Amino acid sequence: MAELWNSIILEPVLNSLIALSEILFSNVGLAIIVLTVIVRLVLFPLTLRQTQSTKAMQSLQPKLQELQKKYGKNQRKLQQETMMLYKEAGINPLGCLWPMLIQLPIWIALYQSIMRALAATPENLLDLSQHLYSWSVVSQAVPLNEHFLWFQLSQPDRYLLLAILVGGTMWVQQKMVTAPATDPRQQSMTSMTTLMMPLMFGMFTLSFPSGLALYWVVSNIIGIGIQYFATGGWGYLTTPSALKPEPARKIPPAEQQSKVIKKAYEKKKGAFRR
Amino acid sequence: MNLNFVIIKLSKVLILLLPLAVLGIAAFSCVPASSGGGCAGPGAQGWSGLTGYNGILYFGSMDGKVLALDPSARSRGLSFPSEMEWSYTIKAPVPPGSICGPACAPAAPGVKIYGTLAAAEELVYVGTYNGKVMAMNRSAPGYDEEGNPSWIEKGEWFYPRGETKFIGAIVGSPVVAGDAVYVGDSEGTIYALDAVSGNKRWEFETGGRIWTSPAVSDGVVYVGNYDGSLYALSSRDGSQLWKFESPAAIASSPVVSGDNVFLGTFDRYLYAIGSADGEERWRFEGENWFWASPLVKDSVVYAGCLDHKIYALEVRTGKELWQFVTDSPIVSTPVLVDNLLVVVSQSGETYILEADSGALERTVSIGYSVMAPLYAGGNMVYIHARDRYVYAIDVQNGEIAWRFSSDIE
Repeated sequence: MAELWNSIILEPVLNSLIALSEILFSNVGLAIIVLTVIVRLVLFPLTLRQTQSTKAMQSLQPKLQELQKKYGKNQRKLQQETMMLYKEAGINPLGCLWPMLIQLPIWIALYQSIMRALAATPENLLDLSQHLYSWSVVSQAVPLNEHFLWFQLSQPDRYLLLAILVGGTMWVQQKMVTAPATDPRQQSMTSMTTLMMPLMFGMFTLSFPSGLALYWVVSNIIGIGIQYFATGGWGYLTTPSALKPEPARKIPPAEQQSKVIKKAYEKKKGAFRR
Repeated sequence: MNLNFVIIKLSKVLILLLPLAVLGIAAFSCVPASSGGGCAGPGAQGWSGLTGYNGILYFGSMDGKVLALDPSARSRGLSFPSEMEWSYTIKAPVPPGSICGPACAPAAPGVKIYGTLAAAEELVYVGTYNGKVMAMNRSAPGYDEEGNPSWIEKGEWFYPRGETKFIGAIVGSPVVAGDAVYVGDSEGTIYALDAVSGNKRWEFETGGRIWTSPAVSDGVVYVGNYDGSLYALSSRDGSQLWKFESPAAIASSPVVSGDNVFLGTFDRYLYAIGSADGEERWRFEGENWFWASPLVKDSVVYAGCLDHKIYALEVRTGKELWQFVTDSPIVSTPVLVDNLLVVVSQSGETYILEADSGALERTVSIGYSVMAPLYAGGNMVYIHARDRYVYAIDVQNGEIAWRFSSDIE
């Protein structure tokens, strides 16, 4: 299994990274940036689909909350109504999960490639030798020059800048997609989740090679860009994290909403048939 | 509960947890110990080979231990340490201003020692991964960072002096020639130090990481770096005599024999370079790197390669005489005992071959991976394996005569 993983996924990515670094003036920092961009471009259709699914799911949040209020005590009914709501809106709730699952192996391979290619210790370098193609461009590049700007890419960044950038970009990306909650309990949970991940990754950056942190930053910035253009703006970034409840606005009962959606759905289906 | 609903709930949790899972899988997916690669740290043991002086064996460990072993005491099964034996741990001070996040390992008990030690007269020389060269008394080490006079009286020293002063990480071995010690560091500088006082005589910046050991012959120091350059320097003042540039980084420590310097590079070649002029004599292509230093005897070069093969080549022309295929990459430098060539593959399989023909005489299985160069003394070959044991193999009968664990307090 490990050999299959290495030969099909890891080694193509690893050797591409090393070859790129040789082509890009022996600069592994540039190679990490370019390879991250290439991988994100290749995965763009999947990312776009994931973004759109997430957006569609979030547009249903007010209706889901309404259902929660209405059938909170009857879990069975709540589930049925929730499923019906998704069905009527034509949303597959797993739509935002499977693109992520497909992307996972590639992320892991990119991640492992950076770790392996930098080969900070003799044992890492020895291990690297077993994963290299016999391309001259690869053999001439190894071991990679680990200096990029003021970073030593196999070592953690001493100046905290990368930790701040990783945490900051991750926070922006999360904030753009996280819908503000009206329920105070949910609100504190949401804001904690939005903060926890960037903080954790920021902390990890202090210990991991700065080459990896560079990859995270670039990947996050591209993610923000895709999010911006796919959803047509900064999303929930500019919205306060706590929304005031809107008593004045009359929200139709969930069942009624379902009917409205159903009607719209049937109309759309009919139009398509004609 | 509706299955779809459960999946939806799970998917929401997964979306939050997946990035963390990726981080975990990717960052901590170390290569299995049997393959010899992977994460640095306590798992990466057994890099320092053994060296002998006056019948005593010396070696270092990845947790900062320097050990002296008496083979006769080990073969008799005496408890350690016997009269001439000792173990000394070099502590690793935390560099000032270091920043460490939560994924940092706990403070290391000792420094890492990758290189084989060198011994001469009353001292044994150690190069450490945290960038110190140390000379320790061979019979009673007492290295003291605080400048306790006892170590000076015993002739011990360390370079650079001062608890917070370090050179680049040392991976190769220090080499003693005449009254000087030569050692290269990861910053790309080779140092010549006075063997007795530890005072610096000269230094030479090569501009590329040095992870191999220098070779010294006839007043010339040969050192290769990861920029692919082999330098020939005057041992007297460090002035450059010539420079050979290969298209790829230099993987193995150079070996001087006769008029040639032999070394392997990352472009999968073994080179023979003229020791007087730095001109390429010939090159031989393997299927992977020649990481181990070649061994030269009479008119044959024995070169172990990461392509699992050991090659016997004609010194003059580089023509292949024979090759023997092992079960895994060859990382350790082989040794000759009489007419028997002893080769260990990374998996720990030991092959005893006829040096003339490459015919297999016998094999011995250690069962743990081996990266350290081998050392021969009499009929015995000593192997420092990744399980922290030193194995003594009797070449004549192919049996493990004794083994000793360096994992002692």
